[in-house]
Amino acid sequence: MAVGRAKRLRTFDFSMNDILPTKLQKDSGLIRIQWSDGHESVLPYKNLRNACPCAGCKEEAQKPLNPFRILKTNELAPLEVSRLDPVGRYAYRITWADGHDTGIFRLDYLRSLCQCGSCQPGKPG
Amino acid sequence: MQPGGLPKLSLPHMKNIVAVASGKGGVGKSTVASNLALSLCGMGFKVGLLDADIYGPSIPLMMGIQGQVDQATTPLPLDRYGIKLMSMGFLVPPEKAVIWRGPMIHRALTQFLSDMAWGDLDYMVVDLPPGTGDAQLTLTQSVPLTAAVVVTTPQEVSLIDARKGLEMFREVRVPVLGIIENMSYFVGEDGKRYEIFGHGGGQKLAKATGVPFLGAIPIDPLVVQAGDNGMPMVISHPESATAGAFRDLGKVVVKNLALAPSEAPLPGLS
Repeated sequence: MAVGRAKRLRTFDFSMNDILPTKLQKDSGLIRIQWSDGHESVLPYKNLRNACPCAGCKEEAQKPLNPFRILKTNELAPLEVSRLDPVGRYAYRITWADGHDTGIFRLDYLRSLCQCGSCQPGKPG
Repeated sequence: MQPGGLPKLSLPHMKNIVAVASGKGGVGKSTVASNLALSLCGMGFKVGLLDADIYGPSIPLMMGIQGQVDQATTPLPLDRYGIKLMSMGFLVPPEKAVIWRGPMIHRALTQFLSDMAWGDLDYMVVDLPPGTGDAQLTLTQSVPLTAAVVVTTPQEVSLIDARKGLEMFREVRVPVLGIIENMSYFVGEDGKRYEIFGHGGGQKLAKATGVPFLGAIPIDPLVVQAGDNGMPMVISHPESATAGAFRDLGKVVVKNLALAPSEAPLPGLS
């Protein structure tokens, strides 16, 4: 069932209305996350890597594109997620096969990156 | 950074880990933390108190322990007034500054929690430094924090920072038990109540953020005296209204924690 983007994930009270991940799986070139509201997020590696919220990646993203930049060896290998570890009760840290592991993805941010048809109208689901 | 990200501490011998936080410094976090810990102890619980303020530890003074502790003769954590106690202040001379970057703070705090013989605790009270920095990140990312209480004083300059502290806990999904307003009012010799730092700031913040208001602690010169003498109010002046307010706080914390649903950790990759 696709129900669109996450609502605000937590209030200060102790109500259990949070939308939380219940299952995370690697598929070919993507991560699938099942949420407690029934939604399944589809997160292609490429989108995840491009959306890495770490300081280094954010800074890199702000630089003008340099078509002559020489790629590092680890950038030539296909993207692969090695690990996906919970951080506290609010986020996941992704460790990539090339060793990059400084991105901490908050739950609401992960949910907002979903590329399924209902979250990204106009794109194939 | 360790491969695979931050290590998650497993602390099954600590039933509840409660952080005492604020946005601003000087609002009385350590006073609240020490008196809260002693109030819980007075209710018959096994209690630990961790001073997570590595740069400016004040728990040793407030609990009457001066200077460094000789670990060859005195095992850490210390036993004091019936509770277990750990602070950076036991490891460095009081006049020496700790000049560390974040990773060292992280290492110290995780070692304090995981490498020491705390024994079984019903409540571990963690006295946080002000702000939303390294100590807070370590506790929220690597420690199974049960809940937090936020201390503020009534004036706007404190409330602004307390709100930031609340927002941090919301973002990292740590339940906030409530707001405590310290230095709330002063009762003069004439018996009149004077609200020196303004009226109702803590309550207003609680209402605006949807957080319970846990209570108001009055300004009492005896609190300063008790802290400086190393015997918190709850044990030095148990008959005082201020000690009563701290005991009430202990009861509310126990009650609210019992109401809080226990939450399973986030699932890992299947």
